[in-house]
Amino acid sequence: MALKLELIRPEIALFIAACIVMIVGLSKQHATRTACAWICGVGLVVAGFLAATTPVPRIATGAGLMPELIPYAKTLIAAAALPILLLLTGTVDRDYEHRVARGERFDPIRATRGEFYAFFLFSVMGVMLCASADDLIWLFLALELTSLPTYIMVAISTSRLRSQEAAVKYFFLGAFGAAMFLYGFAMLYGATGTTMLLQMARSFGEHGVGTLAVVGMLFAIIGVGFKIAAVPMHFYTPDVYQGASAPVAAHLAFAPKAAGFLTLILLLTTLGWSALPAVGGPGLPEPIRVALWVMAALTMTVGNVMAILQTSIKRILAYSSVAHSGYMLVGLIAGPGDGSLWRNGLAASLFYLLSYAAMNLGAFAVLACVERRARGSDEHAEIETVEDLRGLCRTQPALGWTMVVCALSLLGFPPLLGFFAKLFLFTSAISAGELPLAVVMGVNSAIAAFYYLRLVSAAYFDDRDERLPSGHVTPFSGRVFAAVASALSTVALLPFIGPLHAAGRRAVSTPAPVAQAPADAHAPPTRAAAAASDR
Amino acid sequence: MSISSLAALAAAAPLEGGLRQVTLYHYLFVSAAMFCLGVVGFLTRRNLIIMFLCTELMFQAAGLALIAFGRYHLNFTGDVFVIFVLTIAAAEAALALALVVLLFRRKETLDASAWAELRG
Repeated sequence: MALKLELIRPEIALFIAACIVMIVGLSKQHATRTACAWICGVGLVVAGFLAATTPVPRIATGAGLMPELIPYAKTLIAAAALPILLLLTGTVDRDYEHRVARGERFDPIRATRGEFYAFFLFSVMGVMLCASADDLIWLFLALELTSLPTYIMVAISTSRLRSQEAAVKYFFLGAFGAAMFLYGFAMLYGATGTTMLLQMARSFGEHGVGTLAVVGMLFAIIGVGFKIAAVPMHFYTPDVYQGASAPVAAHLAFAPKAAGFLTLILLLTTLGWSALPAVGGPGLPEPIRVALWVMAALTMTVGNVMAILQTSIKRILAYSSVAHSGYMLVGLIAGPGDGSLWRNGLAASLFYLLSYAAMNLGAFAVLACVERRARGSDEHAEIETVEDLRGLCRTQPALGWTMVVCALSLLGFPPLLGFFAKLFLFTSAISAGELPLAVVMGVNSAIAAFYYLRLVSAAYFDDRDERLPSGHVTPFSGRVFAAVASALSTVALLPFIGPLHAAGRRAVSTPAPVAQAPADAHAPPTRAAAAASDR
Repeated sequence: MSISSLAALAAAAPLEGGLRQVTLYHYLFVSAAMFCLGVVGFLTRRNLIIMFLCTELMFQAAGLALIAFGRYHLNFTGDVFVIFVLTIAAAEAALALALVVLLFRRKETLDASAWAELRG
């Protein structure tokens, strides 16, 4: 009990911060209200610090499935949530605060600032809880905690009708997905008689994976597919991203996706892919491998082809986020291999998630930074179509170049972070014998060039139609800072690829007892293997 | 009659034959049927409230399966899981009704196809 509390210290820090924010957001003093974002920031920094300093060896005795994943994933999540928080500043209550500043009486009922930031923290907390899950019940609750606050964040992100429409679409498909993976979890429990992930892994190792477990796992994968926006549960993505304001869309592109991939990694690990065919073990059961294969190929292709057909930047980025989920699924199919740098698909997926968080955030941040007056009113509107980006490198050099760098990195252009992330996925897929999948991925990367280069050329080339209304930079300097910081990180993180990837490999290594449980696993790759490859 | 009391009856089985013959598979069949009804309803109906009730039906189908499996494996994990599922279902119901009310105020309809501003 005490050990579990020790494990979730970062979440407790976030919970306390969220509770304070909810109260502070109702204050009558404007200065106190604006402290909300600062309290959130402090909460995230403290959570990140606690996550990074939690003593790992003591966790390992707690017998989680992947004990090393906990500090790694939580530190990563806290680090990625900080720039998202910067982006979220000024999203809600902006017009209301203007009216209050002009002398209207402040009515706490009408202010949404407190809830908005608190829901953001709750959602981040849900992602962290996914990482520390050791039980199906915990996993279910963590996934729901990640998603439920985001439905409300979408609904209140702008006062426009389309935000509410987006929230309803998001919620209904979300509930559908949740019911799917819950039913899958029920079947997994039925097949093994336990909800503890570690005992499930032992049961699969001893008795093999039965039909009920395979069907349950398929339901769980499809349901979690909603969180990562994978085919066939991707329909909501473009509508929801377009309807939500850009900062909230940036959060949606990261938090549920991270939660979904952490869940998939944990679930698939219980099937004992720690012993792959390459080292003599059984690997993933064939039906699950085929299902994941088809899912990954379809997700990549649908995402990229649909993105070409779009004119709205947010819809392009939404379909690109679908496509990137497909790439990350490739790493999951490849599995941990022998745990080395080029063969570890799980670590490649985690690394891709990290890179994707950085570069995708930059692209959304540009949308959040450039605003213009809506026609016929003095409300602020975001830029919408690719045409609105034209000449951005000349009018707003910092933001324009952020868009150029981030789009190139998303494309996987050689010297940038996105290239290395994709490279690791390729090598892991090839070394796991998934050559056709690697080819599909290569073709898709080529298709993706089409629309990413459209973003790049729109921002870079200076052939702006002067009759169009021009955009101006948002008054919230935090957003610009977040945009530039994420663009810089796609370059600044390059020297740290080695250590980051090594940390990822350590994170996905399973301790010896799990790997030894299956009697027919000849050479269980363990932390020792990962340590050997570090050298 | 609630599901849990049915399960208790099946275990105690005062009638010779009767409920004693209700096995795990009967529960699983009912649960699968509920789940399929929920899926079909969700995909075919266009009224927001009915669609939400269909997702509730899917949740409760999973709950029924959990309880049946818990009884089968003779542990309480399934029952504990169901308590949490009910809590989440209640939270989702609150959220769903709030959203539906919000939308109804602005368009005076519950038809999902009336909401098509976002297309592309």
